[in-house]
Amino acid sequence: MQDMTQMSTTKQFFFYMQENGLYVFNQFFDHFLISIYGVLLAALVGIPLGILISKYGKLSSVVITLANIIQTIPALALMAILMLALGLGKTTVIVTVFFYSLLPIIKNTYVGITTINKSVTDAGRGMGMTKMQVLYMVELPLSLSVIITGIRIALVVAIGITAIGAFIGAGGLGDIIIRGTNATDGTAIILAGALPTALMAILSDIILGIIERRLDPVKRQQKKTIAAV
Amino acid sequence: MKKRLLLTSLLVLSLVISGCSLSGNKESDKIKIASVVTTEGQILAYMMKYMIEHYTEEEAEIINNLGSSTVVHQAMVNGDANMSAVRYTGTDLTGALQAEPIKDADEALAYVQKEFKDRFNQTFFDSYGFENTYAFMVTKETAEKYNLKTVGDLAAVAGELEAGVDTSWMNREGDGYKAFVETYGFDFSRTFPMQIGLVYDAVDTGELDVVLGYTTDGRIASYDLVVLEDNLNFFPPYDASPFADNELLEEKPEVKEAVERLVGEISTKTMQELNFKADNNLIEPAIVAEDFLKEHKYFSGGDE
Repeated sequence: MQDMTQMSTTKQFFFYMQENGLYVFNQFFDHFLISIYGVLLAALVGIPLGILISKYGKLSSVVITLANIIQTIPALALMAILMLALGLGKTTVIVTVFFYSLLPIIKNTYVGITTINKSVTDAGRGMGMTKMQVLYMVELPLSLSVIITGIRIALVVAIGITAIGAFIGAGGLGDIIIRGTNATDGTAIILAGALPTALMAILSDIILGIIERRLDPVKRQQKKTIAAV
Repeated sequence: MKKRLLLTSLLVLSLVISGCSLSGNKESDKIKIASVVTTEGQILAYMMKYMIEHYTEEEAEIINNLGSSTVVHQAMVNGDANMSAVRYTGTDLTGALQAEPIKDADEALAYVQKEFKDRFNQTFFDSYGFENTYAFMVTKETAEKYNLKTVGDLAAVAGELEAGVDTSWMNREGDGYKAFVETYGFDFSRTFPMQIGLVYDAVDTGELDVVLGYTTDGRIASYDLVVLEDNLNFFPPYDASPFADNELLEEKPEVKEAVERLVGEISTKTMQELNFKADNNLIEPAIVAEDFLKEHKYFSGGDE
């Protein structure tokens, strides 16, 4: 059998990827799903909550302070606390991601809606729209790109948190990183876990960035005018 | 007023939806296998998973990277897991069962099997066929030079030898360093506590003369180290066995059958080779396990 320890780290890395490619891909997929689930759940709760507090100003400071406090707890500590209640495994990590994603999503929804020019919503009201119609036809479309920014921030953070989730048995790319730290000469294995994690974060950042720009009403308007000209 | 109602209902709805998808994700009927962070534990965890998935309709999930067998035991008691990939008689005797170490391998196994059944309603299977215990090892050259075969042979030359041992072994009660010196009646010129993973390289490169390592480590074979026989039976037995919750086994007896096929099939030498593939040759434990099972046709024993 070939002695792998004599190869350079780069060679080891490629050898590792060649031998374990499918395994790495499976872990990549698992990792992504855990992050996405957490963020989606947070969006389901966070966006309505953000809308709510933008309408009732008094609530906003309470909700945002609460979300801020959650954010200050270190990820590992929050996960450990949740583990006591939810046990080991994927569920706990998804819930941790959920809590961490709340703040950026609530805050961005809140900011997105409150920063809309008052004259625009007033125009809507003036046209005879109900409050719901103003929300769906004016406020939400105008703040959508800001909300997406919140989701984008949340997802990038989530991918990092999921990597730590390997410590409580959730699987994902963190598994590979931990194995690398335990192996005698694990540089290549650590890289095989860390590089895809970074790649995932960068890719999701870029893709959501594109979506965000597409949805930005100001830029969309400019494009249309240019096309018309 | 109408809007407030709508918003509240939206909030409630979103909470309900999130609740549903969470419980849906939990999949409580899945078999959960707890595994420690070691390479050996992970290889065996995947073997268990693939055996179960090959022979039964069940799906198995691995809870990986747990810190120690105590954590694994806790996870099983709390119901986070219903199987463990590997449990060692010696570890569980003094750990989970809080009993005195038993030096005889068969006696120890019988004891833990009975105690786990009575106290926790769990099954400690018969051994996989290997044991992962501490053993002193030297290079072939050192063994020839001093004519070493057993730990007792070290007594005459121990004064000139330097040893490397696991940090946790130094302060351990019962089978630790102090007890070792008392039992064997000799001491090395110097004893270095170090991380267990480093001892094999240290003895291979000649920085240390004798080290205390694990018997199933793959590097024993690759560095051609000589394992010295524990002639005074100082180290308690650490036979490795599969482990499962009785509730699961009663509900799904086919799982028990699948796991029992592995009993007695993995020798210490085989485990060394498997560990070597994962530790040295950069093959993931999952793939090592799969290849091994395929090579042996999932231990079907001709009944397929």
